[in-house]
This record gives sequence, C-alpha cells and structure tokens, in this order.
Amino acid sequence: MDEVLYAEKFTILGNDFEHGGDVAARVKAILKQLGLGGDVIRRLSIANFEAEMNVVMYADEGELELQVTPDAVRIVLADRGQGIPDIELAMQEGWSTATPEMRQRGFGAGLGLPNIKRNTDELEITSTPGAGTTLKYVVHFNG
Amino acid sequence: MLEGHQSIFFDPGHCIGCVACTLGCPTKAVRVRGGRAHVKPELCIDCGACIHACRYNAAKARTSSPADLKKFKVAVAIPSLTMYAQFGRDVHPAQVLRALKSIGFDSVYDMSWMCEMVAGATDAHLSEGKGPWPKISVTCPAIVRFVQIRYPDLLANLIPVETARELSAKVLRRKLSAEHKCDPGEIGIFFITPCTAIMSSVVNPVGLEQSHLDGAFSIAELYGPLLKAIKQGGPAEGDEEVSPAGLLWAMSGGEIAGMRNTNTMTVRGVSDVQFVLDRIEAGKYSGVDFIEAYICPDGCVSGGLTVEGRYAAQRSIQAIAKRLGGQAHVKEEKVRSLLREHFFDIEEEIRARAIKPIAQDLREAIARNRERAALLKQLPRKNCAACGAPDCGTLADDVLRGEASLEDCVFVRIDRLEKEAISRKKEVP
Repeated sequence: MDEVLYAEKFTILGNDFEHGGDVAARVKAILKQLGLGGDVIRRLSIANFEAEMNVVMYADEGELELQVTPDAVRIVLADRGQGIPDIELAMQEGWSTATPEMRQRGFGAGLGLPNIKRNTDELEITSTPGAGTTLKYVVHFNG
Repeated sequence: MLEGHQSIFFDPGHCIGCVACTLGCPTKAVRVRGGRAHVKPELCIDCGACIHACRYNAAKARTSSPADLKKFKVAVAIPSLTMYAQFGRDVHPAQVLRALKSIGFDSVYDMSWMCEMVAGATDAHLSEGKGPWPKISVTCPAIVRFVQIRYPDLLANLIPVETARELSAKVLRRKLSAEHKCDPGEIGIFFITPCTAIMSSVVNPVGLEQSHLDGAFSIAELYGPLLKAIKQGGPAEGDEEVSPAGLLWAMSGGEIAGMRNTNTMTVRGVSDVQFVLDRIEAGKYSGVDFIEAYICPDGCVSGGLTVEGRYAAQRSIQAIAKRLGGQAHVKEEKVRSLLREHFFDIEEEIRARAIKPIAQDLREAIARNRERAALLKQLPRKNCAACGAPDCGTLADDVLRGEASLEDCVFVRIDRLEKEAISRKKEVP
C-alpha cells in the first residue's frame, strides 16, 4: 500500500439534488491547490461527479474519501443504499434504472459507471443488494 | 505609445485605499497595501472591473495620447462597432466615420465587413471538425487571458481564427502604404476601444508577436469631440459600406447570429463565463461546436470605456442593423480564397500564463496546503477585505508566499492586543 500523503472525507446525502456535484467540485479545488496535472484533475472530476450523482440518485447516504499518494489519487466511495444487483449489467453503456424524474433532470443515460471506468486507471465495485455499494478507483499521475 | 503591459493603473493621488477594486476583481489581482491599491500583473486579465468598482476615479485606463498621431505620416482610426451605438439610433455609422476624420484622423476604416468575414472563417474552421470541443471565441481578449491564467487545459479550445480588429489593421496597413507610397511603418493605426482588455491587447497581444495596431483611444475620451463633430457634420451618406451582420458583433449574441453553424452558445459576464468554463473543463458541453464568450455582461456595448448605457446601445445597434437590411455584404468566394491563403490563421500558439506555483512538488504542496488550512483557522473568515486582500483565503495565500503577514488582519491584531492588555493587567498587583 502506498503512503497516503493527504486524505479527506466528504459526506454525500441521497436525493440532495440541490447540492449534487458539490463534493466533486470541492475535491477538484483541492487537487488544483495541490498543483496536480490538468488531465488528472479532469478525469477525476468526471469520475467523482458521476459517482457522487449515483449516491444522490440511488443511495441514502455516502462517504467519499480522497487519498493522495506520491503517484496517484485514490477514491473510496462507500454508500448505504439499495446496492447494485448485477454489476456486469450496470457496467454496460445505456443500462439504467433511473426513474422518469431523474431522466427529466438530464440523468439516467446509463453512462455513469462506464464513464467512471473510462476515466480511471483502476476500478473496483463491490455491492450488497439492499445494503450498499463501495466504489474504489484510482487515477495514476503518469497513467 | 502605450507603456507597460497592463492598460489599467491606479493613480496614487486619487486612491484612498478603500477595497472596492479588490472586492470587484474577478481574478483576485488587486491588493491594497500601504493604503494604496496595486495590481498583481500576473493575475490581471484587464477586464476593467476595478475601474467600474472605483468611486474615486483612481483606477484608470492607459491610452494613446493625441501626440502619438503626429508620429505617423498617415493616422488611421478603426472604431469598435460599439462606437456606432453611442449616439442614438438616428446617427448613421457613416456620420461617425466622417466625424472621426474631422477630429484629426487622416483615414477611417469600418470593420463590420471584416467581422462578417471572420464569422465565415469561424464556420469554415468548425466544419474541419478538429477537436477538442467546444471551440471558444477569441474576440474578447479578457476571455483569452482568463483561459491562460485559470483554465490552461482549455487553451486548445480557443479557436485559432484571428480577431477582426487585428485582421483589419493588417489589411489596412498593406493597402494604405501602397496608396500613399510610403513605408508600412509610417502608417499609424489606432483602435477606438470600448474596453481596457482590447487596449492591453494592443500593447501585449496574445496569439501574435506584435499587434497590427499602433495604439488605442477609448470611446469615452473621444466622445465629446465626436458628438460635436457629428452635430456639425450634417446628414449621412454612404451607409451601404457597413455590414449589418458585422454590426451586431457589438453586442453579445452578434457573433453567432451571423454564422451558419447553429450548434452554438453565448455566455457573458464573468461569473457565467466561469460557470461554463468550469463545466467545459469537467467534460461537459463537448457536444457544442462554438461558444461566444464575453467578460462584460452584454458584450462590447457594456465595455467599461463606453459612454452610452448598454441597453440604449443595444437598441441603437439593432435599429441601425435593421435599417441597413439583411443581405450579406461579403461574398463567400472571397472568404474561401482568403482561407486558402491562411489569412485568418492566428500567428502564434496561445500559451498558458505561468503563475508561480506555491510548491515545487506534491509533498511540499500538501505541506503548504496544511499550513494554509492552519492559517485560515486563525482568520475570522468574514472576508471583509480590510487587510487589503479580497478574502481570508487569499490573505492566507499571500502570507504563505511571504507577501503579507497574518497581522494585516484587523481581527487577528485586535485579538493579540486584547491578550496583551489582559496579561499586563495580571502583572500589575
């Protein structure tokens, strides 16, 4: 395990559309302050936003942990919620369980998890239906 | 000639050291130190927000002087299209051009048709389909500088099509030096500008090594003499020279109005621009082809160096454009042949404007970040700006950079004095 130089935790509330995206924005500001490369920040911002909105749309509550190591940024996002019954299916582009209300807000295109995968170097999903989901993803500085 | 890189300066005789400019600056480039405002040039985008905020006429725009006209054999004025909107809707562009001639310019040039050509060149560039998307307009120099400072990752999104004002000057110098049989250097080309951002772009251009313009005057400083000359000049003649499509570039939405491509957006005002640029950086709006962006709230008509209010100015521009009719002034074939000559291409790559990083590497940056958080804890976070920085976070940054001290904060100082007073009391038996 790499040495963690910087860590911070953020709470995300389910169904809080008003503040949806705030955590991703705060993480982005921190990464900018740390002087990380633009591409790393861009990829993480996209992944964090998708992950955060997944919590807002589908879970009761989640906690995003930011960990900065000498050569990568690691994100662990654990939520308490309905979980994902079939992860393989959820990873397919276009697959979505979004309600019409969510779709009306511009979400639910079925691109969330695939988008996280596309913008990160490592992605691990564990989920217990009815209990919650944990996402772990990593973006390497020279990836 | 204009001197220095910034067109904005603070007159120490007028500055009283209030913090209106500091609070008004969108890039946090102004500090009040020693009772006077100072600009940090590396952060300034020349938007003119400080001039707007200053109530003591201390923040000023540096312009060319009338004596500069005499340095050239032929002195030419290229008025911003906003100039046409300053005198009400019944004054024709031709009258404004004639008035400019009567106040001391040997020649004048209407750039509305060049705007129409640039719209065509923009369409052509977009149709080549080279990302990243969306492309962002470079018409507003404050936007270009904002991207250079805050959004270096979006530099590749800036459209590499030169501005209409620079292209106008380039064409004009060639044409006039042939006509007058003189050296191109003997032609002096002056822009009549609505804002400080364009003023600075003449001295310190982005995307080309040297501006094709020799100087700039503000609309406001020429307004009085021009108004008088217009009144004396009689009715209009020769308005057909002006392109109605180009004319609309004076206001936001005008640039995309004349384009074929309809997959476009207009964004204006610094906070909205920031909102959109943040999203582009996060990968949004990649389905949009072109974004027209202005730092001022309604485009050039709302520039800080204008006289007519922006609502009245827009009414005038629209009325004049309508009167001129709707047909295109520029032949498509002309634009195509100029495209083949690479006439519209930006001459130099636009680079990031490096701001000294706060740390050399990640470890140091994290240590600095902790120091910053610790400093911020000691500050009241009232963002009162009494210290001369716009907010507590910026004061913390300045302290970290060794440019300010924590005691610049009045609350920190009062706190210390109180503690000292209490401990003195305890010492007295």
